[in-house]
Amino acid sequence: MKSFIRFLSSVIRFLSSVKLAIVLIIIITIASVIGTLIPQLRSAEEYLARYGQISELLMQLEITDLYHSWWFKALLILFSLNIVICTLTRLSPKLRRAFKPNLEFETQTLLAAKIQERFSKNLNLEKSKRELKKELRSAHYRIKETEKDGAVHLLARKKILGIFGSDIVHLGLLIILIGGIISSFSGFRTNINISEGEIVQVLNTEFKLQLDKFETEYYPDGRVKDWKSTLTIIEDETPRLTKTIEVNHPLTYKGHVFYQSDVGWNWRNPILEIRATKTSDPTSFTKAFLRLGEKEIWEEENLEFTALQFLPDFIIDGNQPMTRSLDPNNPAVFIEVYRNEEKISSGWIFAKFPDFSQMHSEEEADYKFEFKDIQAAQYSGIQMSKDPGVNFIWVGCGFLMIGLFLAFYWPTRDIRFILKDTVGKTEIISAGRSAKSKLALESEFTRIMTSFRRSQ
Amino acid sequence: MNESTLFLITFIVYIIAAFFYFSFLLSKKESSAKTGLSVVTVGFFVHTLALIWRTIESGHAPFTNMYESLSFLAWSGALAYIIIEYKYKIRKVGPYLMLIIIGIMALASSPLMPDEATPLMPALQSYWLWLHVSVTLLGEAFFAVAFVTSIMYLVADSREKKGIAKEGAISSEKLDSISYRCVAVGFPLFTLGGLVFGMVWAYKAWGTYWSWDPKETWSLITWFVFALYLHTRIVMGWKGRRSALIAIIGFLAAMFTYFGVNYLLAGLHSYA
Repeated sequence: MKSFIRFLSSVIRFLSSVKLAIVLIIIITIASVIGTLIPQLRSAEEYLARYGQISELLMQLEITDLYHSWWFKALLILFSLNIVICTLTRLSPKLRRAFKPNLEFETQTLLAAKIQERFSKNLNLEKSKRELKKELRSAHYRIKETEKDGAVHLLARKKILGIFGSDIVHLGLLIILIGGIISSFSGFRTNINISEGEIVQVLNTEFKLQLDKFETEYYPDGRVKDWKSTLTIIEDETPRLTKTIEVNHPLTYKGHVFYQSDVGWNWRNPILEIRATKTSDPTSFTKAFLRLGEKEIWEEENLEFTALQFLPDFIIDGNQPMTRSLDPNNPAVFIEVYRNEEKISSGWIFAKFPDFSQMHSEEEADYKFEFKDIQAAQYSGIQMSKDPGVNFIWVGCGFLMIGLFLAFYWPTRDIRFILKDTVGKTEIISAGRSAKSKLALESEFTRIMTSFRRSQ
Repeated sequence: MNESTLFLITFIVYIIAAFFYFSFLLSKKESSAKTGLSVVTVGFFVHTLALIWRTIESGHAPFTNMYESLSFLAWSGALAYIIIEYKYKIRKVGPYLMLIIIGIMALASSPLMPDEATPLMPALQSYWLWLHVSVTLLGEAFFAVAFVTSIMYLVADSREKKGIAKEGAISSEKLDSISYRCVAVGFPLFTLGGLVFGMVWAYKAWGTYWSWDPKETWSLITWFVFALYLHTRIVMGWKGRRSALIAIIGFLAAMFTYFGVNYLLAGLHSYA
């Protein structure tokens, strides 16, 4: 037990050191710099190409996801503990200074101060004290007094909250760090791509999202000005809330926030415009607008055709048709052609390369199929996030700013006095003290004392 | 008369002010420094007009591209300097700070900086643009003054140690205390504008208050450097050389956050 206490106290001594804080600030800063120089969260191949042999080491040390690595988190936790212990160990002397100040000062200490004065006042002790207090109060000082060995001790102070500025800053930082931890554990984000009229179940929730209306606003020069989505939240089959959101103006429902993020087109299942022409008689043709799996009947020629597969960005990868991306860079559709329930032809046709069709005919077919156009449904890109940590962040920021204000712009000042009765007159010894506004205190001190000397 | 004419006039007035300041450095005539200060003040008012003009013309805050934000940074620098000068009467800081301001103005007017007022992309249409950028740049302007006084400190300190300090030179002690005062003004402003307002706006626009985007990370790095400055100074009693070096590193980090990140590191802040 004893050794445990000794261990605990040495841990606390370690954590209460400002040197540790400084070392941690330096390490966290350097780590943060490294994280901006090495691209984060890329593929293993990219790291191998970029850094060669050491890429494996980088990944093992999680430098490739540095800000979420165990060691960076450990540093932040150690830093938080350091802030707590540093603040707490320095708090009790400050509290004592604020609430139970020592009024038993020595003449010698007062005279040793940089800002000090000693003189004799032509009034008795009681009157001198009253006049002095009046002067101090008019300069907004609060006064505590006591008597010691027949002398009166006065402590006049103002802006005492200033000494807690740094503690309040630290409290704010801790709340922000706690908020960050809460966000990283229980924060949740997802993208919802939703087209007009669509209803989507929102992941991890009990409710559904419906897009009533979506519009894009443009500037006269054609640039996008804004995207607006009118959303309805549906819970238990009843609409609960309808709001039009735009960039910078999200919707909030039960702690879930819906942001307008962007716009896109759904290339997975577009409407495909396919034109079929009889080669030997070009006046005989038909135009079809198909979704995947739909069938078009061309009565004049007794043909049927369907679109079976669509690839927005066609590429052959090892004999296998693939799509390179979800953007319509090289749209291709696979169609099958039937006559009397019998497949006569099938193959890929390309929107951008009409002559490059790869129809494999079962029999010599006299038909040309062209992929003329595609129309994809536009969707509104909505980002949903639920972050219970965020309120901690704002409260923490509030404390942070109040603390900074107090620390820099609310400098504590105090003036100590010893008043001694010297046969009808009063001897006055005074000293002013301020860590952060010596110059201002000096001129205030002179003003108060001059005015006090003149008083009757 | 239009915004770019006003900008050009400002630029010329600042150069004239710098001319007076340098003649003060050479001739030691107090009157030249006083003329310099009045000229800077005139330049500052013309600059203010130019910014207002730009705002009215474009219909949005005057810091949405590099030209605009550089111009605003120079304006903040002139403001910070005028405040410091009226408060502490440190005439010798003037010439060097004017050089930085003129450098920023020159950069803003370089053909590499797109100065065409373009309509705002959706994410930038928010009053947080005003709050976030203006308060941050104002804080950075005070870091710039601290940067100049810290460099002057290093020079003054080494001269004093060698016993070759010139007659009438500002004492290194005064430079050290002015540096601290500038950081004491700049740090809360930078915290409020850069970090707090930045987080609020990021949350409003992107749904996340912090995403370790390079610009965010670098403003945190800048903040850490100045936190280091304050802690070593207030708690550990560091002063002078080491403090001056940290303030210099801090300003360089701020400038890297401002420029370097845009050109060298990609991220969410790609538009500004």
